[in-house]
Amino acid sequence: MAAIETGKLVKRFGKFTAVDNLDLTIEDGETYGLLGPNGSGKTTAIKMICGLLQPTSGSVKVLGRAMPSRAVLSSIGYMPQDVAIYVDNTVHENLQLFASLYGMSAGRFREREHEMLDFVDLSSWKDALASTLSGGMRHRLSLACALLHEPKLLILDEPTVGVDPELRASFWEYFEKLGKKGITVVITTHYMDEAGHCQKVGLLRQGRLIAEGNPEALMKEHAKKSLEDVFLAIARRDAK
Amino acid sequence: MNARRMLGFTRRMLLQFRHDRRTLGFVIGMPLLMMLAFGYTFGGEVSHVKVDIVNQDAGIDPGGPLIPQGLDVGARVVGKLDSETLEMTISGDWQASKAKVDRNEAWAAIRFPENFSANFMLSLGAFPNASQARIEVYLDGSSPTMASAIIRELNSAMISVMDSIGSEFNQSTRKIPINATISYAYGGGDTKFIDYFAPAIMSMAIMMVTTMLTIILFVYERRSGTLQRLLVSPATAAEIVFGYALAFAALGVLQSIVILFAAMLIFNVTVVGSVGVALLVILLLAFVHQGLGILLSASAKNELQAIQFIPLVLFPSILLAGMFWPVESIPQFLQPVSYCVPLRYGIDAMRSIMLRGWGLERIWPQVLALVLMACITLGGAIFQLRRRKG
Repeated sequence: MAAIETGKLVKRFGKFTAVDNLDLTIEDGETYGLLGPNGSGKTTAIKMICGLLQPTSGSVKVLGRAMPSRAVLSSIGYMPQDVAIYVDNTVHENLQLFASLYGMSAGRFREREHEMLDFVDLSSWKDALASTLSGGMRHRLSLACALLHEPKLLILDEPTVGVDPELRASFWEYFEKLGKKGITVVITTHYMDEAGHCQKVGLLRQGRLIAEGNPEALMKEHAKKSLEDVFLAIARRDAK
Repeated sequence: MNARRMLGFTRRMLLQFRHDRRTLGFVIGMPLLMMLAFGYTFGGEVSHVKVDIVNQDAGIDPGGPLIPQGLDVGARVVGKLDSETLEMTISGDWQASKAKVDRNEAWAAIRFPENFSANFMLSLGAFPNASQARIEVYLDGSSPTMASAIIRELNSAMISVMDSIGSEFNQSTRKIPINATISYAYGGGDTKFIDYFAPAIMSMAIMMVTTMLTIILFVYERRSGTLQRLLVSPATAAEIVFGYALAFAALGVLQSIVILFAAMLIFNVTVVGSVGVALLVILLLAFVHQGLGILLSASAKNELQAIQFIPLVLFPSILLAGMFWPVESIPQFLQPVSYCVPLRYGIDAMRSIMLRGWGLERIWPQVLALVLMACITLGGAIFQLRRRKG
């Protein structure tokens, strides 16, 4: 079964078409990178997949159910592009809110909180107000909030923006680890070079999927050394 | 509705206030400040109104045939004027006193003419053709409050002088044929302005704080992306709204307790009715305005726009809810509008509870109105959150 399946997904804002006939199939357990420059429709597509935005036409199925479906929401971990945390609460209180939303027991929350804070390197900041954290730290807290309840499907909208290179590397390491556990990870990014970590990438340009496949295979097919070059080559061909 | 998720929202918000001492201070301090400000400045009565008195009354010399002991009516009236209300300057020059009024150095100049006592006695006696005793008043009419305070004071001094002279001279002619006997249904006659105002301040504080904070908190939720995150979680819109509502209800109760204590300890306000019913009204007011705040926050793109809604809600509420003057006395065409102002029912109900001691059996229409309004605004808020964009 596919974790995410969209069929002829279209989203128009007035005359502007943000997402254009997107047919996306993301298999269960896959680490999928949705790549494209700013404004290519990544976030709009993600929002429709999460059920936050009503598609103009087309269909979205997540974990076998047509969206929006309340039943699948507890299996999704979603990290929006903006640093979506409560800055006037402490790190612990932020995590506590999400634990209560996903019905976690007190014991399991303690365990997971420890694990997550350790992973995002915020253990010593547990009782600090989020407003006192640096931008990168807030980003890490936001990620921890999405991962806390061990979702089957993780949707991360630009998780590596503003994260320093060292931590970015450890993020990717962790995403790969999640992938090995059988968790489906969908990541959008405009840093194309880091998408090499994904098993499969989809290149989005002006709301359309212009190429899809394994990063290595794509580079080989187009005889390029980087995904960015692949993207540029296809974009130029498209423009003609 | 899952209680745990709902309470999760409540807890988060209350914890936020615990960290943010200044906002918490505002929540509690603002109504206290209003209470003190209104309690002391709006004492109810005007006082220390500057007036110039020109008493030219020659009086009636003693030793005359009619009044051997002599009489000076002008001086007696002046003696009866309350020196707390009027700050009197005795002057001898009528033109100079009038000029002072023109220069706004006094609110009124009051003149007792030379023949004042004589005319007074003549008209009191059986001289139908005698000219009336006249007091001349030159008034600055630009402040109706001041002008009416002066006239009221002068009238009551004249009546009291007439009373005493009438009894001194055994004159039955002076008897006023009407006498009102006043008895009080509520308040016992010693209700001060602050008694009448305290229930309104409580209601208004709840309205202001709840509306303001909800708008701002929800603009943050929408702008920061946390709301999107909540909507992708298993939490329902109703859980979000009621989770917040509970937190605001708790804040409202805290505020009301502070205001009540301040009112009772500082201004000796007495609460006749049940505190429980008062709290119910307060909760309902908080619910109505929280729903309203969420709805308004949806049409604000940022914090700056959000703040613009605050006076929009505040002014009609304060002016149309009968806070300072009764709803009956606002212009006819605005009366229907006042029915749409939730604060009106809140103030009405709170006054009835605190001043008249009425219970639910008497104030149920107001409570019902608030319940209906809460259903509309909270229902609207839930619908609004649930609706996906375009």
